[in-house]
Amino acid sequence: MPTLSVDGIDYEVPEGRTVLQAIDDLGLLMNGVEIPHYCWHPKLTIDGSCRLCQVEIEGMPKLQIACNTPVTNGMKVHTKSERVLSARRGVMELLLINHPLDCPICDQAGECKLQDYAFDWGVTSSRTREPRRPAKKSVDLGPTIVFDQERCILCRRCVRFCREVPKTGELGVFNRGDESLLELFPGSELDNPYSMNVADICPVGALTTRDFRFKVRVWFTDDVESVCNQCSRGCNIVASRSNNKIYRFVPRRNDAVNETWMCDHGRMSYKKNANFRLTAPSVDGHAATYTDAVKRAAELVRATRDGSGKIIGVASPFASNADLAAFRDLLARLGAGPARFSVPRAESDAILIEAEKAPNAAGCRALGMIESGDQLGRAELAIVLGHTTTAEVFGDVKNIVLIDTHESALSVRATVSLPARTFLEKSGTFTNSRGHVQDFSAVVEPAFEAWSEADALAQIAAAAGIS
Amino acid sequence: MIVEPYVKNYLSEHYGDDAYRTLAGYEAAGGFAGLKKAVALPPEQVTDLVKASGLRGRGGAGFATGLKWSFMPKTNDRMKVIVVNGDESEPGSFKDRLIMERGPFEVLEGILIGAWAMGAQRTFIYVRGEYKEAIRALESAVKELYARKLLGKNILGKKGFEHDIVVHSGAGAYICGEETGLLESLEGKKGQPRKKPPFPAQHGAFGLPTTVNNVETFAHVPFILERGVEWFKSRGTDKSPGTTLFGVSGHVERPGLFELPLGTPLREVLGHAGGVRGGRRLKGVMPGGLSMPILPPTELEVPMAEEFLSQKGTHLGTGGVMVMDESVCMVRVATVVAYFFRDESCGQCTQCREGTAWVHKLCQKIEQGRGSAEDLALLDNVPSLMEGQTICAFADAAAWPIQGLLRHFRDDFEAHVREKKCPFPESFEL
Repeated sequence: MPTLSVDGIDYEVPEGRTVLQAIDDLGLLMNGVEIPHYCWHPKLTIDGSCRLCQVEIEGMPKLQIACNTPVTNGMKVHTKSERVLSARRGVMELLLINHPLDCPICDQAGECKLQDYAFDWGVTSSRTREPRRPAKKSVDLGPTIVFDQERCILCRRCVRFCREVPKTGELGVFNRGDESLLELFPGSELDNPYSMNVADICPVGALTTRDFRFKVRVWFTDDVESVCNQCSRGCNIVASRSNNKIYRFVPRRNDAVNETWMCDHGRMSYKKNANFRLTAPSVDGHAATYTDAVKRAAELVRATRDGSGKIIGVASPFASNADLAAFRDLLARLGAGPARFSVPRAESDAILIEAEKAPNAAGCRALGMIESGDQLGRAELAIVLGHTTTAEVFGDVKNIVLIDTHESALSVRATVSLPARTFLEKSGTFTNSRGHVQDFSAVVEPAFEAWSEADALAQIAAAAGIS
Repeated sequence: MIVEPYVKNYLSEHYGDDAYRTLAGYEAAGGFAGLKKAVALPPEQVTDLVKASGLRGRGGAGFATGLKWSFMPKTNDRMKVIVVNGDESEPGSFKDRLIMERGPFEVLEGILIGAWAMGAQRTFIYVRGEYKEAIRALESAVKELYARKLLGKNILGKKGFEHDIVVHSGAGAYICGEETGLLESLEGKKGQPRKKPPFPAQHGAFGLPTTVNNVETFAHVPFILERGVEWFKSRGTDKSPGTTLFGVSGHVERPGLFELPLGTPLREVLGHAGGVRGGRRLKGVMPGGLSMPILPPTELEVPMAEEFLSQKGTHLGTGGVMVMDESVCMVRVATVVAYFFRDESCGQCTQCREGTAWVHKLCQKIEQGRGSAEDLALLDNVPSLMEGQTICAFADAAAWPIQGLLRHFRDDFEAHVREKKCPFPESFEL
């Protein structure tokens, strides 16, 4: 492994990497080793055009761009020399001569790399008196993205993203010199299943999502780490929260799972979790208190067990591993067989989207649960986590105890229903399609009383006198 | 139409003769003797000869040709490609046009010698789109070579020596004369220089190992092979052997092309062009095309070769000598230069895209009498933000002439700022 010295500290780095890649591989980029950059992105091809990542390398007369300079053994890089700082100041000044100073009304403010780097590496006053280049304001590029052309610094990350990831290539830089403009190719619009990623990788406020734009200032939000639950890929995400409300999901880098991307469907699913919730317990179709609902569920469990009636467990691939494990344990104590579950399926692609539209089917399988969509047959009682199984399979089942997050045909049919917390309201783990067990943390508190499935099961077991 | 230079030497000796544009006429003048000598030698030895000759590229950068050839991979697992740069987009430069129009076989023979030396199977000649006659001349010459089996398979009976040549018409942008901008354009993409590494010798045209040489560079090669390294080195200077076609334009009595040995003093080059028009006084000379810093009249004794010009803060470039007489306003020159580079910047790199526009706005402002001392101070500084920091040398080419004009003609700039108008009413119109 080659040795790379950065500001006097030696690092062993992987073979065949450029300076910036090697520092990123070590997890040090902008996290100990400060090399500001715009056009470079760890998951896109190298462009080498913004020229901000220039560093001094011993033995090379000119400054070199860290993003495209291959590491050689014993290379000595300086990131803080006066020459480097002066070149950075130059790039920052040149980028700002045509960039509007509209931070107070720009939605990127607070998470803008131009703002950050100008603060860290730029100069405090402007030397230009020339008018700024006029360009378009607030243009729809498609259903999801709004474009403020005058803020674009032409790093071309979005252009490369569209060409290289969804391979749809809707965007290009047209004209040349200072008349260069990012535009859609004529006749196209930015409408692909991954379109909103361009807003994440845009370092400035040029590309913003129609959904999040102007909803909340980012400095009023906290970022909570979670995992998307819309398919078995389990893209790592950050949920932005403010006043106990989720404003957006953005992808969180995980090279083994989703690199730095997520699909638009998953990104917009934060809204799904908020609507049509099961907000109060019910017994026999009537609203009930928690105490009464738990009591009724416990009676059903006890009566069925004592009467040697059949108990069937139906699990949900949306439940967390802890909830599934609690369910498995309870079913075992009741002498019931392994839980059944079913997974909704739809189209997949070769990028991120998996066919299994649930986050934890692998967790169900790992706990010995059986995937089946068949009729449950004659049974006294079904204990059900979630409603991924259609109501018809319960045809001959006498009673249903349902612990669920959302209203459904099944919640109407259930003898007892108890509102559960969604994955955004509790912490836990999901196991994705590749077997990665991934943590998620509680982002918000539900506005009504709700328990995790494991807690609800424990309450019922306690009330039924099952240790 | 110009058919030959005013002063001729070995390259242009027969340019006045229409027959020289045909294979028969070229052979009658001794053509293809160089190629025959080359194929009798092992390929590496041919590269060594070109190295030993000291031939430097005639496209502007003056890189050692033999050394460039030796960068090509020695293995034959991938097709190797030669690209001939006939884009000739440097303002003030018009020599390659005449070479292609009047001596197309010199270029083609040079290519075949290079192909033998480097083991290349394919050549693309990228010709500036406006050069219709050059394209016609090259296409007709290529056709004749195929008919005589000097292209295709088993050239000159040499088993395995095969080569094909494609003449490609450029589509018009200055930056397509930069070697990797040219490769992008050749591939049908927007003409934008490529970052290096990878270098063309590893990843060039269509991803194949590629050597890019200027038209004139190839035209010298047959003479080196035919007449020998010593003969070649006896012309020009130690470090810059051979002749070149100086293109003299601007305020001279007899603008045109002059084939002279490298190292000819600038005064002598101007003398061949009849001196400054109408007996006026000389104000400045750009010695190597628009992107090279200007020389003041006090530097007329400088030998026109890179090693001497670089001591004077400028470069030989393409040998396009632009002469300006006393009527010329150097702020107008700066404005024209700055406009050209603003207009032609490909726009990839921050410093070039933003810097060229800023420099142009400052020049324009000063020229129009709206400039302040602050603007002049900015003009001193902004080019230094651009220099040496970009993907290609374009930003240097945009910065250097402005720095040169400020270095030698600061009075002109200060007069504009002081008088709040252009003090040279006789100067050319913008």
